[in-house]
Amino acid sequence: MLELRNVSFSYSGQTDGGLRSISLRIPNGECVLLCGRSGCGKTTVTRLINGLIPNFYPGTLEGEVLLDGKPIAEIPMYQIAGRVGSVFQNPRTQFFNVDTDSEIAFGIENKALPPIELSRRVKLTSKELGIEGLQNRNIFQLSGGEKQKIAFASVYAMNPDVYLLDEPSSNLDMASIRALGDYVRLIKSQGKTILIAEHRLYYLMEVADRIVYLEQGEIAGSYTPREFCKLSGSERRKMGLRAIDLREESPECPAALQSGLTLELKDISLFHKKRIILEHISLKARQGEVIGVAGYNGAGKTTFSRALCGLHKECSGSFLWNDEPMNHKKRLRLSYLVMQDVNYQLFAESVEAECTFGIKNPDRELTKQTMEELGLLSFRKRHPNTLSGGQKQRVAAAVSLISGKELLIFDEPTSGLDYDSMAQVGGLILTLAALGKIVFVVTHDYEFICRTCTRVLHFNRGKMQDDFLVSTENETKLRNLFSIDL
Amino acid sequence: MNNQPKLECNGLTVKDLVTTGIFSAIFFIFTMFGGVFFAVNPVLTFYMPMGSALLCGPIYLLLVAKVHKRWSITILGVIMGIVWFVTGMHWAFSLGYISMGIIADMTAGFGHYKCKKLNMLSYMLISLGGIFTYLIFFIDPEGWAGAMLKNGTEQSYIDAMHTASPSWLPIVMIVGTLFVAAFSAWVGGNMLRKQFEKAGITV
Amino acid sequence: MMGQNQILPLWLDPRTKILLLLLCVLSAMAAPSLQYEFLLVAGIGILGILCGKWKYALKGIVFYAMVYLFTVWAMNSMTGTLRNMFVAFLGLFHKVFPCGMLSGIVISTTKVSEFLSAMNHIHAPKKLIIPLAVMLRYIPTIGEDWRYIKDAMRMRDVSPSFQGFITNPGITIDCVYVPLMMAASKAADELSVAAVTRGIENPNPRTCLIQIRLGAGDAFTTLCFAAFFLAGMYLKEAG
Repeated sequence: MLELRNVSFSYSGQTDGGLRSISLRIPNGECVLLCGRSGCGKTTVTRLINGLIPNFYPGTLEGEVLLDGKPIAEIPMYQIAGRVGSVFQNPRTQFFNVDTDSEIAFGIENKALPPIELSRRVKLTSKELGIEGLQNRNIFQLSGGEKQKIAFASVYAMNPDVYLLDEPSSNLDMASIRALGDYVRLIKSQGKTILIAEHRLYYLMEVADRIVYLEQGEIAGSYTPREFCKLSGSERRKMGLRAIDLREESPECPAALQSGLTLELKDISLFHKKRIILEHISLKARQGEVIGVAGYNGAGKTTFSRALCGLHKECSGSFLWNDEPMNHKKRLRLSYLVMQDVNYQLFAESVEAECTFGIKNPDRELTKQTMEELGLLSFRKRHPNTLSGGQKQRVAAAVSLISGKELLIFDEPTSGLDYDSMAQVGGLILTLAALGKIVFVVTHDYEFICRTCTRVLHFNRGKMQDDFLVSTENETKLRNLFSIDL
Repeated sequence: MNNQPKLECNGLTVKDLVTTGIFSAIFFIFTMFGGVFFAVNPVLTFYMPMGSALLCGPIYLLLVAKVHKRWSITILGVIMGIVWFVTGMHWAFSLGYISMGIIADMTAGFGHYKCKKLNMLSYMLISLGGIFTYLIFFIDPEGWAGAMLKNGTEQSYIDAMHTASPSWLPIVMIVGTLFVAAFSAWVGGNMLRKQFEKAGITV
Repeated sequence: MMGQNQILPLWLDPRTKILLLLLCVLSAMAAPSLQYEFLLVAGIGILGILCGKWKYALKGIVFYAMVYLFTVWAMNSMTGTLRNMFVAFLGLFHKVFPCGMLSGIVISTTKVSEFLSAMNHIHAPKKLIIPLAVMLRYIPTIGEDWRYIKDAMRMRDVSPSFQGFITNPGITIDCVYVPLMMAASKAADELSVAAVTRGIENPNPRTCLIQIRLGAGDAFTTLCFAAFFLAGMYLKEAG
């Protein structure tokens, strides 16, 4: 049994994410879904329960957090760890070892279980979670989804009573999200208490017993799944929540302003170390199009986008811009990739400096105008690192506009974003399209494709399997692509 | 109830240890990267510590700013020592990094790890870890090349070492390394102020 | 025991490997002659072959043989400052090469987890094991980060090369350090959270999934290396 009694918390030196008089009782075996906008405090609630507050994050805490009737503040961190297991958002920074077996064993090694028991548990865990195929592998060679499975397995091996999942699906593709949903069902069937803070809601609707909606650090609503599903689309969006049921989402097909310059790919094949990744891709794109690129992890989407902007050089066939062939250098000059982890492409000490970074004679007027268009003027003195994920993407987009790029590629722009931020990214991309750019969006996000893209490319098994317009006629195709049953 | 747990107490927390580990990794890669061009070149071998000292200033200063507690720099030195040993470098390399790590830790400790000048000096000292190997060459040139030359050591070689081989070279090495390290620390200090403090990651 | 490759004729305990490294350093230090060093390198080559690294071992021996011949030639026919320079450089080379070659075999045949298990066995303090484990795990991450950063630099028209650094030092420094250190400090936070919530602060000594065991192979190899070292000492004294 978990209980929060009138808990208030504020992080020291930070205004976001605090909590105000939260009271919540979670009986054993219940699965509670916490949702709300970014910064509403849902992650903070999980941190109260796994003891990271007050042990790790300093701040001002009032009220009591009880685990089976005992205040969590009085239990040492390592004992909490045995009873409350946590899985986090970023699969890249959760593992401590280089190989999968040791990583699965990490928690139980800390518990100092005898070696025979360790290997028994690792085997059992791999079997129950269906990841025998990942045993004895180098973690650096796993995909994000596989890494997340290992992170889950490591917690599962410790067999805690309570599971906390903090935005576990943020960096996963559709298939991995489904696998995660299965894991949650599995632990629920074992009678575990589960608390999940999430933006993506649809995959948890069957398994959640209760949905708690937080707003600005307060509990603003508590629903049963049935009540929750009755919320209308507009109510839900007003609450800043992502789709509850993907079946209700359908293409909104924003009209593409098709005109002017074109990009043409003629029989492009991509290689990596002489091994073929994708072959025989031919397509034409016009200014103003927003083209979604979909497919499983490892289907070559990343290689494709890197080749498109001239970063990946091992390719055959020709890229034409207005019928002029472009080598990789020309493509590099013409295009810009907004990375999934946008932090890698922010270098300067302020947003303003970032916009003109590396440009010899920056056009002050253009810089100012672009910042205004993308809503960055009020942040211009701030360090890019202090901005939110969505805002950082805006800065990267501003950079691309100021340096006159025509072809923009976004890699997973909506990972870990709430509804409002997703809508803003959508707005940003539509703005760019209206400015006459060609935009490619690599994404697993069905909801986002429906709202933003005019066209979808589907990569699978080394080929471009499909290329179609996002329209009501093609809805079935689109749903099949994301395996959403009707 | 205002709790500032663990952050104020003296021992290293898990976070400090993890931070030390991560920055040691970067420190190691950059030391190697800076030194490798010199190490494989007979003319420049002796200037390798300078190459290594050039790149690590910002990393070192950010580590000190993030942890600012005793032992962290010593651990960095010991890890560098272990890694150099395991990668088969000359033993004096390991010894140099471990001992200079301890000295650098004490130096920065005098300013409670907050004094910019002492932190800078402490980086300059740890950079000297790389020159031990070469000093041994100057202290004992016979032992250095003994295996290569027939009949133990040739008298002509010894004479050449004592006369022709410039006695200023060790001084150039030490002073040069200190100078390069100071420059690197100066760049690092600026970067810390301009970027990392503003970005709020030095806490 | 899990994941151990049983096909190899020789599997050594990481503790033995460290001891071999130490003996190798000592032997290289004591080396009475170049022939002795050559034997040492050949011995390491045999060890490499037994550990399944025959390609690496052969390359190492061939390369060393070439430098060996060059050294003999240089010592006999060079004069003056040039010779002194090469004496200094080759002196270091001959001392370091056997150790470097052995370390290549050690590193490529030891899993990080085995190494940490060994550290655990010799009761190294947690304050050292944790940073060391993190460091070993973070080195590949730096490689990943660097690939992203290179891409980002190219798109900004900053060349991620030595030339780029010379022509544009200020900008290149920002491009390399800023994202790398931001990523590092974020990783430090998230990694420590992931470790703390899995009970790393437990004061009891941790156990280890990978079990390491000393065997006959370990004893035999150690004896060979120790004997070789002693022979070197003897030759030197006698020499």
